[in-house]
Amino acid sequence: MPTTPSSPNQSGVPDRDEAAVAEDGRVPLHRRKAAKADRLAELMGTRVDEGQISGIWIDAFRRMRRNPMAITGAVIVVVFVVVALLSPLLAPYSPTSQAWGSEVFPNRNEFVGPRAENWLGLDHLGRDLYSRFVIGARQTLMVGVVATLVGFFFGALLGGAAGSCAVLGGRWGARVDNVLMRIIDMMLALPTLLLAVTVAALVGPSLTTVMLAVGIAQIPIFARLLRGAMLAQGNRDYVLAAQSLGVRKRKIALTHILPNSMGPVIVQSTLTLATAIIDAAALSYLGLGNPDASSPEWGTMLAEAQRFLSTAPALAVYPALGIIITALGFTLLGESLREALDPKLRK
Amino acid sequence: MLRFIVRRLLQLIPTLLGLSILLFVWLQRLPGGPENALLPDNAPPEQREALRESLGLDEPFTVQYFSFLGRILQGDLGASIHTGRPVLEEFLTRFPATFELAVTAIVIAVAAGLPLGYLAARRRGGALDFAAVGGSLLGICTPVFFLAFLLKVGLAEQLGLFPSAFRLSPAVNRTDITGFFVLDGLMTREWDVVWDALLHLALPGLALASIPLAVITRMTRASVLEVMGEDYVRTANAKGLHRTTVRTRHVLRNALLPVVTAVGLLSGQLFAGAVLTESVFAFPGIGSFIYEATHGRDYPVLTGFILLIAAMYVVINLLVDISYSLLDPRVRAQ
Repeated sequence: MPTTPSSPNQSGVPDRDEAAVAEDGRVPLHRRKAAKADRLAELMGTRVDEGQISGIWIDAFRRMRRNPMAITGAVIVVVFVVVALLSPLLAPYSPTSQAWGSEVFPNRNEFVGPRAENWLGLDHLGRDLYSRFVIGARQTLMVGVVATLVGFFFGALLGGAAGSCAVLGGRWGARVDNVLMRIIDMMLALPTLLLAVTVAALVGPSLTTVMLAVGIAQIPIFARLLRGAMLAQGNRDYVLAAQSLGVRKRKIALTHILPNSMGPVIVQSTLTLATAIIDAAALSYLGLGNPDASSPEWGTMLAEAQRFLSTAPALAVYPALGIIITALGFTLLGESLREALDPKLRK
Repeated sequence: MLRFIVRRLLQLIPTLLGLSILLFVWLQRLPGGPENALLPDNAPPEQREALRESLGLDEPFTVQYFSFLGRILQGDLGASIHTGRPVLEEFLTRFPATFELAVTAIVIAVAAGLPLGYLAARRRGGALDFAAVGGSLLGICTPVFFLAFLLKVGLAEQLGLFPSAFRLSPAVNRTDITGFFVLDGLMTREWDVVWDALLHLALPGLALASIPLAVITRMTRASVLEVMGEDYVRTANAKGLHRTTVRTRHVLRNALLPVVTAVGLLSGQLFAGAVLTESVFAFPGIGSFIYEATHGRDYPVLTGFILLIAAMYVVINLLVDISYSLLDPRVRAQ
């Protein structure tokens, strides 16, 4: 008997309904409504499963819609992205203008807190903290997205090559896969932050370096994941069918196996966005971040503000909260997506 | 068991060779290369060429690789640009401090993470579960250096509960035997040294432990949940084994396997995390040294550190394999 994801225990359903009817007088209205909604969802779930073909992504989306973790994550991410995209409109002042420089004296511990014209107060150089925070969201988003894309693209290239060689390449393919995986495993051995540090130290500090360094450090993870997923798809019936129909190997790899293996990689991308933002902050702290003050980034702001943590904690708290909450949002979204896609994690 | 270890050691040789090639390509051949890191950006081309020649970068690839390998095998990692002393020597004098810190962090992470993850899984959906999952998510998402600063400013500077810097208070006298302060104190029975050193380790250790703690808690929880649903656990319960027996011999033993791997991998990452925590607490270990090296682009130190981490990773991996075979007899038979 096929059980739908929404009703793991179908035999329990009539019992609950009977109970609801028997105690009709005493059960509060919202309970009855909830029971009805549950039943409706179960019926709809069953119908979908019996009749139409529902894709794995649609299923996952449906499951995530009811997961509070996913909703929290999605809300955070949407707010962050909207703020980042609209930041030039939201920021009342230029993030670099030191218009209030004469009011702030870090040496004498004189800082300016929140007030009508500067909503979050001023930073240690007399710049509007709110404008910097909002513009910083934009830069942070860019660092996260570009770094993730770098990791995703090159990782998928490496992992995809290894995976398709292993699945379709015969004995020689297996050897190529072996060599590629050994290299990837060794890259995986080095902590990502350290890889990023070496890249940044070699190339010199700049925003591009941060994005590249963080992205390159993520390549082995993406490669491993995609290759693993492709291997798992490799002995499926549809691959065998395509092979026996004489579909070209390149086409099997690109249009049959690859799209079916993207699940874990997409989950990882969401999680990587969080890691990238945190790693970028760490690089800034190590002095390898963006030295260009005209484009503030939360990591740089946090690293700069550490010096004043005991005298003016607000300077550090805003970018820190920004980083933590945004990373949390991406992590929650990624984790719940993983849960929704992986039947083993569901209970 | 001995045969298993010997076989594992032999398997290390190709891994290490491969790793050396990878590192060589990574460190010597990356665009920019050593000469860019060593010279200022506006250096004239002739000077660049001269440096390339003196570093042997104009020689064929294989010649360069073997001289690189030869130097590493002799323990020659070059000299630090800033201190002028050999990199290996610099590392060795700072190693005990960082090792002590890493052990503290891993002890905190395992001692708190295992029970927390286990209890969270036992009472799934309860308040403790919620706190453990939420707390570990928060731990992963907080930049380590920020947490370190918070601990330092909050617990050390404002409340004065802990010392805020260094490995030992200046007033405490210590007999140096191994360089490991806690161990030295225990050996010479100078209990004040042990206590003082532990106090100095507490905050940086806690900051460093944040990510391993979060990962171990989550892994233990997930792993215990998975094992508790297995048929053999049901069977063990059904045949009337004592609850404690089922929990220790059946659930925990099997649930620990992935956690052990994670602990191994995390230990390797600790040395990278030490760069972020040690510098905050002015803890005189390898981490602070690397922190200074990144600020000054001290190229030989950075490359030496990567080699060290890579070598450590290989050793830790071996230890993980061995502990795996102790936990799971099936691994030994392979």
